[in-house]
Amino acid sequence: MGKPPSDPRLDLLQGTLDMLVLRTLQWGPQHGHGIGQAIRRQSDELLKVETGSLYPALHRLVKRGWLKSEWGVSESNQKAKFYRLTAAGKAQLIREQDRWSQLVHAIGRIMNPAPASED
Amino acid sequence: MRPDDRELDDEIRSHLEIATQERVDRGEDPQSARLAALKELGYIGAVRDSVHRVWYSRWYDALMSLLQEMRIGLRSLLRTRGLAITVVVTLALGIGANAAIFSVVRNVLLRPLVNRDADRLIYIRQTAQGIGTENFLFSMPEIGDLKSRATAISAFGDFSTVEFTLIGFGGGPRVVTAGVVNGTFFDVMGLRPALGRLINTGDDGPNAAPVAVLTHRFWTAVLHADPSVVGQVIRLGPGNATVVGVLEPSVPYPAETQIIANVVTSPHHLGATMQHQRWHRMTELFGRLAPGATLEGARAELKAIHASVVRAHPESYAAGARVGLDVRTLGDQLASPARTILLLLLAAAAVIFVIACSNVANLILGRSVRRESELAVRAALGASRGALRRTLLAESLVLCAAGAVLGVALARPLVAVIARYASRFSVRALEATLDSSVLWLGAGLALAAAVLLAYVPRLPSSGRSNALSPAVGGIRITPGTNRRLKIFAITQIACSFLLLVGAGMLVATLNVMSTANTGYDMRQVLAVDVPPPASGAAGEATENFFQEATRRIGALPGVDGVASGMVVPWRDRFDFKMQFGFEGYQPAAGEENPTCMTRPISPRFFAVLGVPIVAGRDFTDLDRSDAELVAIVSQSVAQRLFPNGEAVNRHLWFDSRSGLPSEKRRIVGIVADVDDENVVQVPTTTVYLPWQQLGEPSRLFVRAAGDPYSLVPAVTRTLRDISADQAIERPTTLEDVRTQVLTPQRLNAFVFSAFGGIALLIAVVGVAGVLAFSVAARTREFGIRLAVGCEPRQLRSLVLGQGVVIATAGILAGAFGGIVLGWVASRVFDVRMPGVLPIGGAAALLVAAAILASLLPAVRASRVDVLEALRSE
Repeated sequence: MGKPPSDPRLDLLQGTLDMLVLRTLQWGPQHGHGIGQAIRRQSDELLKVETGSLYPALHRLVKRGWLKSEWGVSESNQKAKFYRLTAAGKAQLIREQDRWSQLVHAIGRIMNPAPASED
Repeated sequence: MRPDDRELDDEIRSHLEIATQERVDRGEDPQSARLAALKELGYIGAVRDSVHRVWYSRWYDALMSLLQEMRIGLRSLLRTRGLAITVVVTLALGIGANAAIFSVVRNVLLRPLVNRDADRLIYIRQTAQGIGTENFLFSMPEIGDLKSRATAISAFGDFSTVEFTLIGFGGGPRVVTAGVVNGTFFDVMGLRPALGRLINTGDDGPNAAPVAVLTHRFWTAVLHADPSVVGQVIRLGPGNATVVGVLEPSVPYPAETQIIANVVTSPHHLGATMQHQRWHRMTELFGRLAPGATLEGARAELKAIHASVVRAHPESYAAGARVGLDVRTLGDQLASPARTILLLLLAAAAVIFVIACSNVANLILGRSVRRESELAVRAALGASRGALRRTLLAESLVLCAAGAVLGVALARPLVAVIARYASRFSVRALEATLDSSVLWLGAGLALAAAVLLAYVPRLPSSGRSNALSPAVGGIRITPGTNRRLKIFAITQIACSFLLLVGAGMLVATLNVMSTANTGYDMRQVLAVDVPPPASGAAGEATENFFQEATRRIGALPGVDGVASGMVVPWRDRFDFKMQFGFEGYQPAAGEENPTCMTRPISPRFFAVLGVPIVAGRDFTDLDRSDAELVAIVSQSVAQRLFPNGEAVNRHLWFDSRSGLPSEKRRIVGIVADVDDENVVQVPTTTVYLPWQQLGEPSRLFVRAAGDPYSLVPAVTRTLRDISADQAIERPTTLEDVRTQVLTPQRLNAFVFSAFGGIALLIAVVGVAGVLAFSVAARTREFGIRLAVGCEPRQLRSLVLGQGVVIATAGILAGAFGGIVLGWVASRVFDVRMPGVLPIGGAAALLVAAAILASLLPAVRASRVDVLEALRSE
């Protein structure tokens, strides 16, 4: 939306945030802030997740049964709510990953057609 | 499972803590770290709301906040308990009356019958509009014509009502209302037995065994649902009959039927008169539409057949009688007598609801003006108009819900009362019970009222800065509010006026009917039904019985005279009108012979009933069957046919087409007119004959010197002495017969008066409330007036005048509304406009009530403490 054109960070594609959250949690339970930081770190600071999008996404995933949440203590000894993948969440991650690679492939073919692929 | 808002807050707070800590760990100073983390987070409320929305829908939130508002509303209403109770009771009256009447209406007009395929079950009716008969019934030859020619009807069932004396089931002789039916009747009606079997085609004809079926109501109410009755042999009229079954619970038609028997039980039905006389009409006709036939098609076909039958037998259908035929479903036939009265009741209930709502609106409006400053404070603090409206809606919902609950509770006993009342018009009403539809109706009405009430008060507008004036607790009344209050009060008066005029009409009619001079001696005559004896004896035995009874009862102490006849005025209907020829009277060209009622009576009949003989003589014991044939005519016959007063000693005779012996009979006397069909006399032409020469008596009239009812035991004993099998029923004075006959009118008048009374009461409260309010709001003005030398008396009449103005405006509005309503209704119903007395009476009552209602506020206005009033702002 109202982002200055000079900002190098990218907007997330619709629907990809859920997948990124699931992927991030593949390596173990994490709290909301940690998930946001991880996405940012792993995208080389290109993706920044707004808190206002991250938390609704987390709760949406909990509501669908893909995540479970429980209160715990962070490494810096602070009270935090941790999210972890459920079995259904793992299955969903695999589905999303497949869908994503198909999408990338399809879009890639349109954007960079192979020179003589037809005949 | 769902996180509540506090947990969401906790999560966001912990996010903030962690983010801040991270920055501090990176070396930022705590203060700026926190600020940066906050900035990163954005508006906390927005984050929380978007997470909240994941779990809770908008509707859920709206409902929750409404419930919250309702809790607050309930608390604030509990502080103004008097107002809350008034509102709830008023609404409960409105909702309860509507719910109760609606469930009766639903039962009578809308609920399907138990009969199989009831929409294919029709009732065929012969009418004779020319002589004012809606149901002329059918004769057997007429039914035969219809049966043989109709194709749209697959089967006909016929039913004729007879009174049988029943001996059996372990009781004494009693008269039962029985139906004599053909074998297809029950199949046509689509009814099943509850016990045993019903009458079928095997029971038709003169050689079948006599059998009877009991209606469910008779079986349960009189025989206590004894299952052993099936198979019992009872004495029914002249012979024995076997009870073969009990009918399933169903709407009986005609309503009073207790026993249904096959044709062979009634010798009359097998006789030549019944079988061959086209004018002998005593049978009702039902039919089943043939597959593929429609009601309209059947109606057209039957009407055509009927018209050709009428053309083929001109001697049986007097042109002036305009005999016709109509067809409707049985459901319509059952409901139609009750339709008008129920729709009227429904309208009255709706009017009560309007009155209740406008009264409540007034109360709410008054309350909202008192709390205008509270609303203004909330508006100033940023509450939107929608939020304020929601607060008001929540409060009115609490009130209306309470009103609805109380109203539905009230409806339960009301249904029973109204059902008993409406059952006089349609038997179906007796089955009326409160059902869940009433709950929906109550909820709907309450919701309608709540929304209406929430939109009644004005919200503080942003433009009015003085709403926040320091006069907290003081009442400020704006012209707009005052106008609304008055409009509601006027609505109430107008509606009350309509109801009161309606009630007044009914009371006036009842009054006319119950005080009209009937021409009979009402108080001293005991009428007793003495139906033809169960022994089946007729002719000479009956004659001997009545002669013996007259002699023995006449000798009892306290008896001033005994006579017999066939008709107890108003209770028994015997409206065969016969055509007569009169010596010396020539009908004009194209005119028929005059029709007269025929009444077989005994000697001394006129003396016992107090009807004066104007000329000539009474019948005597010498006017026997072997003596000269004689007759007595009523005064109007004499005057119409013999204007010169020479009726006595002329001759009259039955028209030869009537089927009765047409020998000449000499007129020996003229008696004053009496009308035994209508309690308010209409001109009647009656010919009296000595029953020894024609007809059979079945009613005994005893003139008592003292209290007629004290004679009942002696009379009963005497009659039983003469014949042990004799049924003796319903000993009543004529005065009490009239009272019974007028019961529906009395109930109508009572119900509408009750409605009018409720309306009046609510309207008085309404007017008093408006004036009290306006007086309270003008305290300061009154104080100033008193201070500059105004007389308290003038203030009193000022307020009283206001009350009268409101009442007058309401009456005018009501009259106008009534005229419009009457005009609209006259397109559907036969509308009678009220007389001067009900209108004047209702208007006077309302003005008086308005004055009464304004007395207290008026006195308060004149007693305003000048100093207090001037200091109050």
